[in-house]
Amino acid sequence: MSSHREAPATSKDPVADNTDTYAFVSPDQPDTVTLIANYLPFEAPFGGPNFFEFADDVVYYIYVDNDGDGVPDITYEFNFETVVGNPNTFLYNTGTIDSISSPNWNRKQFYSVTRTTGWGSQVVASNLSCPPCNIGPASTPNYPALAAEAVHSFGSGRTVFAGQRLEGFYIDLGAVFDLGDLRPFEKLHIGGMANSLGVNSTNEFGVHSIALQVPKSDLMRSQRGHDWRHRDAVIGVWAAASRSKASIREPGGITGSFGPPVQVSRLGNPLFNEVIVPMGQKDLWNSLTPQTDSQFLSYVQHPELAQLLPVLYSGVFPTLANLTAARADLVAILLTGLPPGVVPGFQNYTGSTYADELRLNVSIPPSSDPNPLGLIGGDLAGFPNGRRVFDDVTSVELRAIAGATYPLVDKSYTPDAAAALLTDGLTSANTSYLSEFPYLGTPQSGYNTAPLSAVS
Amino acid sequence: MDDVTRRAFVKTSAGAAALAAAGTIGVADADADADAKQHLHGHPIVAWIGDPRDGKITVMSGNKEVTIRDRELVRRIARAAR
Repeated sequence: MSSHREAPATSKDPVADNTDTYAFVSPDQPDTVTLIANYLPFEAPFGGPNFFEFADDVVYYIYVDNDGDGVPDITYEFNFETVVGNPNTFLYNTGTIDSISSPNWNRKQFYSVTRTTGWGSQVVASNLSCPPCNIGPASTPNYPALAAEAVHSFGSGRTVFAGQRLEGFYIDLGAVFDLGDLRPFEKLHIGGMANSLGVNSTNEFGVHSIALQVPKSDLMRSQRGHDWRHRDAVIGVWAAASRSKASIREPGGITGSFGPPVQVSRLGNPLFNEVIVPMGQKDLWNSLTPQTDSQFLSYVQHPELAQLLPVLYSGVFPTLANLTAARADLVAILLTGLPPGVVPGFQNYTGSTYADELRLNVSIPPSSDPNPLGLIGGDLAGFPNGRRVFDDVTSVELRAIAGATYPLVDKSYTPDAAAALLTDGLTSANTSYLSEFPYLGTPQSGYNTAPLSAVS
Repeated sequence: MDDVTRRAFVKTSAGAAALAAAGTIGVADADADADAKQHLHGHPIVAWIGDPRDGKITVMSGNKEVTIRDRELVRRIARAAR
């Protein structure tokens, strides 16, 4: 997964598991940037009576580095509080929820947003309501209206939402984790089965999203960033979650959290911790900030998956099998950004500091004809120029690791023909999105969801 | 926990019966020092000793922490934890 259950510790702590991070110039508000951090993987929509929610004892963050040192210059911190209306019923709702302030919704959540810069911290919004989960036609008959009520404006031209959304990331997990099987190419896999269509393993699952839309000027280092060629046009984004340093459990169901927050999850580029970082260091990686990512450089330069592909697909990747040089292309894509001159009309270079961040050039305008393959599909507004909700990051990263992007740093290298074709057989049509904030689609209701009805 | 003084902490913890190396130190005891009550507002605190050999105790309350060095106190707590 992008970062769903990607590390041993986060796989056991879903409310703190940062599953996806997005950063893009808002297509319908091009003077703004939208930042989204998702948590809580694989929410089965029917998962009641205690439906999914953010955790009061987890602090959620979205970070922005605008000077390329891997250290946050702007931090958005989100703190949640759950309020139970009637503790003497087992019900999540005692009747139809026709507004987010309905007394029939028995377990409401509220949150605050704190913005921290070098000038200090300020609570920029507080007592904001989350929407309930999408339960079904009797409980939440007009869910889009409920969710719309939970889109809050604050300050001038700033918008925030926190609550359940339809999972926007699509991937064929069942095949990928079955020894790197990609169903469209199964005939070539060592498993030797007939080719078939991909299956979207995240189909109809929900996720909890924190979405923020702010003016570009809130994030850029200087106004010089309005020129896409200038370094100040590039921001690095990642998200995280922290838990208190100590937790005490006492008989009677009493728990307490003590001490400062300690980071337990983070996510910049999709699949970085999942596929690049080895098992024994995943929990460590989650606890760090990007400024220390040079210690993981060798895993990017020599990714394990690039060695596995020629083995799993015998004879399909002969050129990749002989590519032993350090993968400067992957280092640029994931750790430094692409410097000017590599891709015409584009750069998202942040300097020599190796840091896993989503690098967004905020002065590359949104595409009028978006290609989910992003930069490798000729769409400068897509991944790895930030990441849009519909970008096919699995195919992009599979192709990059297979050598498709190595000519960016070595013009003499001709990738294997298969590198440009790799896919798990899915497209953005396998889920649905909104054309406006918060962009991720309306979550499925529990009533309308059949268990494991994954479709291709 | 900027308002936790070493004196208050020591007095409070001295009233605790037996402390594990990562034990909870309550301040609800009626004999607890008035000064400690004033500073701690009755909130529970947690003391953590990562390595008894260095004599350091990290004291946490709310979302703050402070680390103090008190080899004698660490020795007593470590002995209680045996």
